This record gives sequence, structure tokens and C-alpha cells, in this order.
Amino acid sequence: MDILTGLMHGFQVATTPLSLGMCMLGVVLGTVIGVLPGLGPPATIAMLLPLTMKLDPTGAMIMLAGIYYGAKYGGSTTSILLNVPGESSSVVTCIDGYQMARKGRAGPALGMAAIASFIAGTFGVVALMLVAPALAQVSLAFSSPEYFALMVMGLAMVVLLAGDSLVKALLSMLVGLWISGIGSDLFTATSRFTFGSVQLLGGIEFILVAIGVFAVGEVLANIEPQDPPKMLPVPKGIRNLLPTWDDMKRCRFAFVNGSVVGFIIGVLPGAGATIASFISYGIEKAVSRHPEEFGKGAIEGVAAPEGSNNAETGGALVPLLTLGIPGSGTTAILLAALTLWGFKPGPLFIHDQPQLFWGLVASMYIGNVVLLILNLPLVALFAQLLRVPAYVLQPLILGVSIVGVYAADASMFQLGLLALFGLVGYAMRKLDFPTAPLVLGLVLGDPMERALRQSLMMSQGHLSILLRPIPATLLVFAALLLAVPLFRKVNAIRVQVLEREEA
Amino acid sequence: MTRTRSTCAAALAALATLVPFASHADWKPTKPVEFIVHTGPGGGNDLLARAVVTMLEQEKLVPVRMQVINKPGGGGAVAAAAVADRKDDPNTVGFITSVWLAGPLTAKEQKITVFDLKPIAQLLREPAVFAVRADSPYKTLKDFVEAAKAHPGQLKQSGGSITSRDNIVREQLEHATGAKWAYVSFPGGGERLAALLGGHVDIMVIEPQEAGENVRAGKLRVLAQVSETRLPKWADIPTLKEAGYDIHPTPQIRGVVGPPEMPAEAVKYWIETFDKLHRSASWKKYVEQNELEDAFVSGDAFRKSMEQTSKELREQFVKAGIKVTR
Amino acid sequence: MKPLARGGDFWSGLVLAALGAWIVSEAHAWDYMTDEGPGPGFFPMWYGSLMVALSLVLVARTALKPPTREAQAAMNWKEIARALTCWVAFVACVGLMNVLGFAVSFALLTWFIVAYMARRPHREAAAIAIAGSAVFYGIFSYLLDLSLPAGYLF
Repeated sequence: MDILTGLMHGFQVATTPLSLGMCMLGVVLGTVIGVLPGLGPPATIAMLLPLTMKLDPTGAMIMLAGIYYGAKYGGSTTSILLNVPGESSSVVTCIDGYQMARKGRAGPALGMAAIASFIAGTFGVVALMLVAPALAQVSLAFSSPEYFALMVMGLAMVVLLAGDSLVKALLSMLVGLWISGIGSDLFTATSRFTFGSVQLLGGIEFILVAIGVFAVGEVLANIEPQDPPKMLPVPKGIRNLLPTWDDMKRCRFAFVNGSVVGFIIGVLPGAGATIASFISYGIEKAVSRHPEEFGKGAIEGVAAPEGSNNAETGGALVPLLTLGIPGSGTTAILLAALTLWGFKPGPLFIHDQPQLFWGLVASMYIGNVVLLILNLPLVALFAQLLRVPAYVLQPLILGVSIVGVYAADASMFQLGLLALFGLVGYAMRKLDFPTAPLVLGLVLGDPMERALRQSLMMSQGHLSILLRPIPATLLVFAALLLAVPLFRKVNAIRVQVLEREEA
Repeated sequence: MTRTRSTCAAALAALATLVPFASHADWKPTKPVEFIVHTGPGGGNDLLARAVVTMLEQEKLVPVRMQVINKPGGGGAVAAAAVADRKDDPNTVGFITSVWLAGPLTAKEQKITVFDLKPIAQLLREPAVFAVRADSPYKTLKDFVEAAKAHPGQLKQSGGSITSRDNIVREQLEHATGAKWAYVSFPGGGERLAALLGGHVDIMVIEPQEAGENVRAGKLRVLAQVSETRLPKWADIPTLKEAGYDIHPTPQIRGVVGPPEMPAEAVKYWIETFDKLHRSASWKKYVEQNELEDAFVSGDAFRKSMEQTSKELREQFVKAGIKVTR
Repeated sequence: MKPLARGGDFWSGLVLAALGAWIVSEAHAWDYMTDEGPGPGFFPMWYGSLMVALSLVLVARTALKPPTREAQAAMNWKEIARALTCWVAFVACVGLMNVLGFAVSFALLTWFIVAYMARRPHREAAAIAIAGSAVFYGIFSYLLDLSLPAGYLF
């Protein structure tokens, strides 16, 4: 079935009242879940599985997919307004999004998040439709050496996230790497840094650290002055509720960046939306004409990561629907759902079940449009949250943090860790240590170590495996990224010397 | 006088007949039941528990609401501790897998093991197959082993953690044949399969259900089955024994346990309930769809088989050079 | 909120150097390299050592350029005390959840923040505390059926 016919057929399936209803339900539910920290698509879909068994598979799949990408839209809301990441992949949005809110630009931030999500999400669906089988084959060439190089490149981005002190940023990152390694080593079953506690055997959840350091830390920092002004200034007037044309122009590259990076990384099983959002943020900052604005409220710093975590959804469906390989937690459950219905995702899936595949694709187009229409007016609603006085917002954030962490893992130990990381976040702010590199190190540390050890196992200890074309290119790129500050410093010294000579 | 005595005797006799009824009053849960699993939502154990909930509801075997509680972490350690915390609660059931047996052997931190809990029943065995790419030169398992012998350490197998069944089978095979090949651990099933399909490793042990579609599409070839008898869907694939390797791999099982002091009537109830479940049509359908093996063993027999498996695992770990702490 | 002056770097540098040293010492107990590739000690050894090196750089920098008088005066202990008090309240709230349950503990925390940290009138504090707690309980526990820490009260 060629693409055009398939798509037409798909729209026929996707526009039946039942399918439309399922789509609406899915995206609305997804948005709500995305907004609430701690509740994510994997848990929700798992809970809905028994119910979906009683429904038509195509309709149910449309709804579940709607939850998946809908959550990516909603995740940015608390990230921007409260510095609490609603979804793991929305952590990067906190960096500039929250800063924008502090400057009174919460509206445009929220609006841009929705718009970027729409553009990239639609791109993801188009790409899924056009290149899925071919890309799946290509993606198989990507394995541990390539992943390792990708992670190293990601870590090199810390240079771009550094701010004033590179030393402090690197230290922050190293602490993140350490926390990432806590737990049972996959390859040797050795327990590392578990302090004898059974609770730490599985490691520390990244979202817990992010919520603690970002959200709780921020509240503690905010509560210092006796009479803080409103925690977040309220935007005045309709004009300030949505991004301006200027904003849109600035984000032109960010839209492309987010879409492409997110989709490609989504296709790779094992690399997730969080990594995608970090990398697209890094790339955006690297090519920007005003990189010093990043971290202080640059709107591209919201557009790029938000776009990429939506494009990642389309990408993650590629290996699932063309090879039967789940690339992330959510796609693993979708795989289980498909299996329960009696379908077998694999290379012959699209061929055997065209109405399911094309119906799903068509519904994703529709879903993205619905989400855009739904989310833009919601910006005005959410922005009202900012009218609330600081002393109401502070307990609100703390409460949401507690619920979020407890919902993911119901244990007092986890809440204790949350409190600990809250203090760490406060200390970091006080001592002027950037927090983003900590999170970066935490996200990339363990996967990077794993990838290196897997690569060396594959090559029997020969590092030359890393010199295959893709890893080599990425490693060179990483080296260049690391060389940038060195180059800048050298250049600055050179300029100083020249000036002195001229004087 | 005698009449009173005989009335008394009659009354006593009547009462006596009631006593057996009183002690055998069949216990049924009256409060909501909680199934504790050691994975997060969507993990293998979680999905099984949810499927079991659905089937128990369909077959109307349990009169109360059932809920799945996720207690991930520590390879089952956190969940085991959670079940133990429930002391004598008859409304708590833990879903276990072989990970609960392997975990304590290498993790000193784990204080509660599955042997501190009350065994209820083993439900399933998970078979597996050896798979290679369809375009690889190995047509039988023997081909692979011979090639591995000729190039020691150069061929690679992808699989889960070093304590998982994938590796134990490999260790057993290596010891039996003298061949040596490398083992590369990947945390997720998807990555393992991707590594094989992409040509980065040469062989893997995979669940038949995961391999099915790729075999049908002509991308994978199955060399042998890791089970005692041939599975119905794979009738023309030899078992390890038939392929010439007399190895008894430790089985990968799934079962249910209760808290340490679960009352006897509750244990009896659960054994009977799961027994009825495994005879039901919806269970048979589930087992067939997921290509599992129904393997119901209850109570003490279950405990003995777990002890045996744990012992075997320990031996295997020591042979493989994995640091054993218990 | 004002970041502390350079003086803070000195102590944080020392703390991180200590952490790095501890990491390296733990990593010694594990295999650095096995015949199958780097062992569990490999990475920790590297990032631990780097941590020690970089934190010593930090300490050295501060030692060479001691903080100025004004910079030290800028350190506002009163504000830090406020933040730490709030943190202690948070810890207490979490600690009490097992006994008092989420709703009550959270109400107490809210009341503390509004009444003490923000010095609002007690009635307002109580109102916000009760309303907030009820809303949380209602949305999360009731509507979404999420489990919240439960004690003897809610």
C-alpha cells in the first residue's frame, strides 16, 4: 500500500466518531498527566490496559498514543511556572522556561512550548510515515560505540551550560555522574555506593533529583527574603500572553533543531526524550548569536527541547512498529498492549495491519492539531496561577513535589531523598554551582558507562571500535565543543596582548 | 437421670459434629487484595499481575477488588521487604520471578529473601530460544559452538545482567563444550534484539514470543530451544538436549508468595484460587498467546524447587566468577 | 537571593575534594579492569580523581584571591537561617507523614510557611492551610486514586 493511499485510508479510519472520541480522550488525559509531576504515560497506560482490552484495538491504540504525545505537551507547564519538571523530558525546559516566567514572560514561554511541540510533533508523524521502514534498518547500525560517542557529545555540552565558572560546572557534572552510578552494576552485579541500603540498590531516580534540586531548592532560595515580591511577575495584557512575531522568528532554527534531533534520537532504542532535549538545547545554544542569554530566559531554550521531546514520540514509534523493538518505557507498554490484543509488532506489522498503522498515523496528525488548539487558550488559564502570592505558591510547589515523588515510588525513603536533594539544590544556588550540569551528568552517566563497557566487550578491549565512522565523527565534534572555551580564552589573551602592545 | 445424661450426650455429639466445620470454615478475602510486584508500571512482572487481576475478575474467582502495587528497586529486594512487612496479612500476595532467587545471592544489602516468605504457588515457566541472524553462517547450535571453539572469545552474545538466565545458560554451555564467547549486557530487551539484528553481536537467548515476528519476516533464525520438551509453536526446533548438549538450565519461573506469617487458611485459599485459575480457559489463552509454559507447583513442593534452583544458581555464579555474598 | 561570595568556594571545594577522595577509595575495592573490559571501579576512579583535582583548583583559586570585605558582608546569615528553617520544616513534614498522614502534615507545613515565614495573619494561614490540603487530597487521592502517605489521621 503506497503512502498516499495508506494515508487516505488512515484518515478514513481516524475520522470516525469513535476514533475521534478516543483521540480527544487520549490527548486530554495525556495533557493532564503531563502537567502533574510524578504521573507519567507508562503508569497511566499500564493502569488503563485492562479497560482497553474491551475496546476496539485501533481506537484503543489511538487513545494510548494520544496519552503518550499529549503528556509531552503538558509536561512543560509546571516546568515553566513552578520549576517542577512535569515529565522527565521537560527537565531542560525548566532551565530557560522558569527564568522566562520570572521575567514576566510565562505566557510566551507556555505558548512557545505548545507551538514548538506542535511543529515538531507533526514533523515526527510525517517522518514516521515517510521513512519508517528504511530508517529502522539504518538505526540498527547504531550500537554501543555510537551511543557512547553520543553521550560523550552530550556531556561535552556541559561546556555550553557552564555559565561563568567552567570548573564549577564540571564539578557539578561529576557529582551527577557519581549519583548516576549508585546501585547495582549491570555487568558484575557489584553494589556501588549503596551505603548498605537496599533502597539504593536500584539507584536514585533521576526525576527525584531533578524535582529536589530544581523545585525544592528554588523554594528554599526564594523564601530567604522576608518580603519577597510576587514570586513571579504577572504578565500584563493579552499581548504578553503569547509569543510575539519576533519570538517566532528567533525560534526558526529551534523548530528545525528540535524536530530533527528529537526524531532521530527517538528512533534509537535506548536513548530517550530527556537526552534528546538536552542535545537539542545544547545545539541551539551553540549556534545562537546570543548564547549568553541561555539559562536566563532565552525563548529558543524552551522551543528546542520542547520540540525535540515531541518529535521523539514519532521517532520512538519507528522501531516499535517496524521491528517490534521498544525504545522506551512507554513504547514497551504499547508493545505489551499490542501483544495482548493479539498483534505482533515486527517487520511485517505495517504490511499485515495497514489499517492500524495508518489509522494511528492519521490520528496523530489530528491529535497534534487538537493539542495546539487546546493548549493555547490554556496558557491564559495557567498564567493566572501567577497571581497567587508567593506564600501560597511555595507550599504548593513543595506539595506537588512530594506527591510527584511519592506517586512514582511510594516510600518514605524516597521522600527523605527528596528533602536531601532540596537542600543540595539550595546549597548549589548559594554557592553558585550551576544545577543543569548535575542533571546532565545524572542522565548521561550510567548510559555512557554502560555503552563504553559494552563497546569494549564487543571489541575485546580494543578502543579502535570507537573509530567507526559515526562514533569518530561525534567524538571529534565533542572534542571541538570542549575546545571552544579554550579557544575563547586563548583568543581573549591574544586580544589583551594586542591591546597592550597598541597602547 | 439417664434421660438428661443421654440428652447431654446427644447435645455434645451434635456440637462435636459442628467442630470440624468451624475449623474448616473456608476463608475468603473480605478486604481489597494487593498484589505486590517488583517492577514499575509496564514492566514484565507488573503486566503479568495486571493480566492475572483481569483473569481472576473474568473468572469470578476472587470476591474483592484487587490492586497492583509497584515496589521497584534492588532487583526485587524492595518488593520482598514490602511483602515481609505485611507480616500476617492474608490480603497481600507478592509476584515473584527468578530474579528474587538470584538477587540475594549477590547483594549483601538484601536482608529479606524469598525464603522468608510463605510460598503459595509457581505459575509459569518462561522458555527461551537461541537465535542468530538469518544471514549468519550458523545453521545449528553446533555450528556456533564449533565456531566459538575455533575463535575463542571473539563471538558475542547479547543478554541481560550477568546473573540472568541468558548468561547462566551460556556459562553452562561453555563449561560443557570448552568453547568461549563474550557476553555483552544490555538492560533492555529491545536493545539486545537491536544489537543482534544490527550485526553487533552474533547470538542471543530470547523469549520465543519476542523472536516470533522477526523469524516470520526472515530476519532471525532459531537454533535451539532452552526447555525440556519442544514448544508447540516451535515443533521443528531441537531442544538443547536433542541438539547434543545435556544441560539443564535453571528454569526461569514466575510464581506467587505471601507474607511470612500468612495464616494457613489464607494460604490454602490462594493455592486453590491459583489452581482454579490455571485450569481456566482465559489462562490457557494467555499462556498460549505469550508462548509461556504452564507449570503449576504449589506449597511445599514449590518451596523445595526454589531451594533447588537457588542452590544451582549459586553454583553457577561461583563457576562464572560472580562474587557471591550469601 | 544572593550567592555567597568567594569564601563559599573555599569550603565547597574542600567538601567536594573529600567526596572525590572517598569515591576513589571506594573504587579501589572494585575491579578496575577485567578481561572483559573496564570493571565497576573504572569510571568511579576517573570521575573521583577528576573531582579531587578540580575541587583543589577551586580551593587554590580562593586561597590566592581571598574574598573582599564587602563580599563577606554581603553574606546574609539571617536569610540563610530563614531558608534552613523552612527546610527543617519540610523535613519535619515528611517525617510526620507516616504518623499523621499526608493531609495533616501538609496542612501544618503550609500553615508554618504562611504564618511564620510570610508573617500573614493566623486566620489567613489556617484558611490557606486547610484549603490547600483539602484540594491536594481531593485531586490526588480522591480523583486520581494515587496513594498518598497515610498515617493515623488522613
